[in-house]
Amino acid sequence: MAIVAETSRFGKLSRPVLAWIVGLLFFFPIFWMILTSFKTDADAVKPEFLLFFTPTLENYLNMTENYDYWRFATNSVITSVFATVFALAVGIPCAYAMAFNPSRSTKDVLMWMLSTKMLPAAAVLYPMTFLTKSLGVFDTHFLIIVVLMLINLPIVIWMLFTYFKEIPKDIIEAGQMDGVSTWGEVKEILIPLAWGGIASTALLCFIFCWNEAYWTVRLTTTEAATLSKLIEGNRAPEGLFFGRLSAVSAAAVGPIIVLGWFCQKQLVQGLTFGAVK
Amino acid sequence: MRRAAPGSRVMSDRKLPRLLQTPAVLLLLIWMLIPLGMTLYFSFIRYVLNSLRRPEWTTPSLSNWRGFGNYQFVLNNKDFLFAIQNSLLIVCSILFLTVILGVLIAVLINKAFPGRGIVRVLLISPFFVMPAVNAVLWINMILDPVLGLQGLAVNGINGMIASLQNAPVVGWFFSLWPQLEPISFRATQTSAYAVIIMVTWQWTPFAVLIFMTSLQSEDQQQKEAAVLDGAGLWSQFRFLTLPHLSRPIAIVVMIQAIFHLSLYAEIEIVSRGNGNKNLPYLIGEFANNNIGAASATGIFAVILANIVAIFLLRMIGKTLME
Repeated sequence: MAIVAETSRFGKLSRPVLAWIVGLLFFFPIFWMILTSFKTDADAVKPEFLLFFTPTLENYLNMTENYDYWRFATNSVITSVFATVFALAVGIPCAYAMAFNPSRSTKDVLMWMLSTKMLPAAAVLYPMTFLTKSLGVFDTHFLIIVVLMLINLPIVIWMLFTYFKEIPKDIIEAGQMDGVSTWGEVKEILIPLAWGGIASTALLCFIFCWNEAYWTVRLTTTEAATLSKLIEGNRAPEGLFFGRLSAVSAAAVGPIIVLGWFCQKQLVQGLTFGAVK
Repeated sequence: MRRAAPGSRVMSDRKLPRLLQTPAVLLLLIWMLIPLGMTLYFSFIRYVLNSLRRPEWTTPSLSNWRGFGNYQFVLNNKDFLFAIQNSLLIVCSILFLTVILGVLIAVLINKAFPGRGIVRVLLISPFFVMPAVNAVLWINMILDPVLGLQGLAVNGINGMIASLQNAPVVGWFFSLWPQLEPISFRATQTSAYAVIIMVTWQWTPFAVLIFMTSLQSEDQQQKEAAVLDGAGLWSQFRFLTLPHLSRPIAIVVMIQAIFHLSLYAEIEIVSRGNGNKNLPYLIGEFANNNIGAASATGIFAVILANIVAIFLLRMIGKTLME
């Protein structure tokens, strides 16, 4: 190990410096957004690199007034949580069957599932709007939950599949010998063993739901509108209101970024899609 | 694939696994077939949202059959080819940049240094930003030629050069320098670059995460042996690290291709009406009135997605079931 750890002079000094520069560069846009959110609208558009200013909470305090933030945020939480729960409820049995009883078609089914994500949403927007309006579900939480679940189901099944595949078959078979029911197998053996994988799948699914910005914007008007809709709806004429816009943007992405930081480890494992052994 | 142990209930019974897969398969089948069926139907009829001259075209009906007319209309549209080219340009550029940057950064932070945990947290953050916020943030506050950081930076540099021109001795040198012009990212071509920049910023962390995890499982003994044999840093990277990363690179390319082919929010926010468009955005434009043409374009997009999917399947299909 000692030989590999640091062989060159480059490693001793330049690596940390360079790594820190890269890290700060990548974070800088977010930092700038947060900084701007504490400026008054007048300060925010001053044509100078304003690092020191009198911070104001005005933008955040006005958020409810200007943007009705809490309603959108509540909708985001509700739709993302339920969509994630349902996606897991449908995905776990499916991935379980695929991982432990693969048939010749399993690979093709998995690929087909992923390919449904490649259908251009814009092509079916009009039919979908038409259909949901005539069914009377347009702009309802129910619709958004179902759509978010369907969009993320392929990724959820794919991730769960790669986790379940890593569990030794013998353990499951031993359960079967002992006469445990299938439900018992899933509940008593599979879920405890794959808990980390399920958690990271849920987390990623939740993040994708929260950030979804096509259907949530177009299949809602007011009732079920999420934070994506809030941002999309306010982007254009706000050129001179950087402060306000930053505050509402920071409040929209803040919860997810913090969640991501806390769950970094699980997420890193989960994201590999079976690419890393 | 292993044979099931004799007497094993589930293994011998093929029905239960099928049953467990049914809800997911059925749901996705419906999710795919109903919209696809409607798109296919609309693509063969004349169907517009508003028409004063021909009000009968505003309701979908088989009596407005147009055959391949919508397809012809789309193929003759000058935007169509441009949109396809632009889609591919955007997707390929993002893939190229994220993979290169991802590998470099992953290698950079693969070894311990002070504050590595914090750097990782900083690096990962862009991935969690929602696309709409990403686009609004970049186009307004960073890339804007006047109010954005780009404008401020250009101004600052110009001011510095101007003041140096009056300096004694070296002043003549700086007076040769041209005034820098900020780039407007609102024009057709430059706004495509803006989209590439912002999506690369968002998805490089994804690539870094996957490559980093993969690097941790790299065979260290092999590396030590290579070092003892006198292999330099470059040949270690070229002959050990890069081959090790081939599978993760395939996964990164696949997942990103899936997400970026349907890129929409960023395009819409950055290039509202300035001519920069990808295929999904062109469909959206048609769909403002001409549903028939939008649907025909949609079918073309499905075909394009399938071509890409087959390509990807070839690339990673084999490694999937290992």
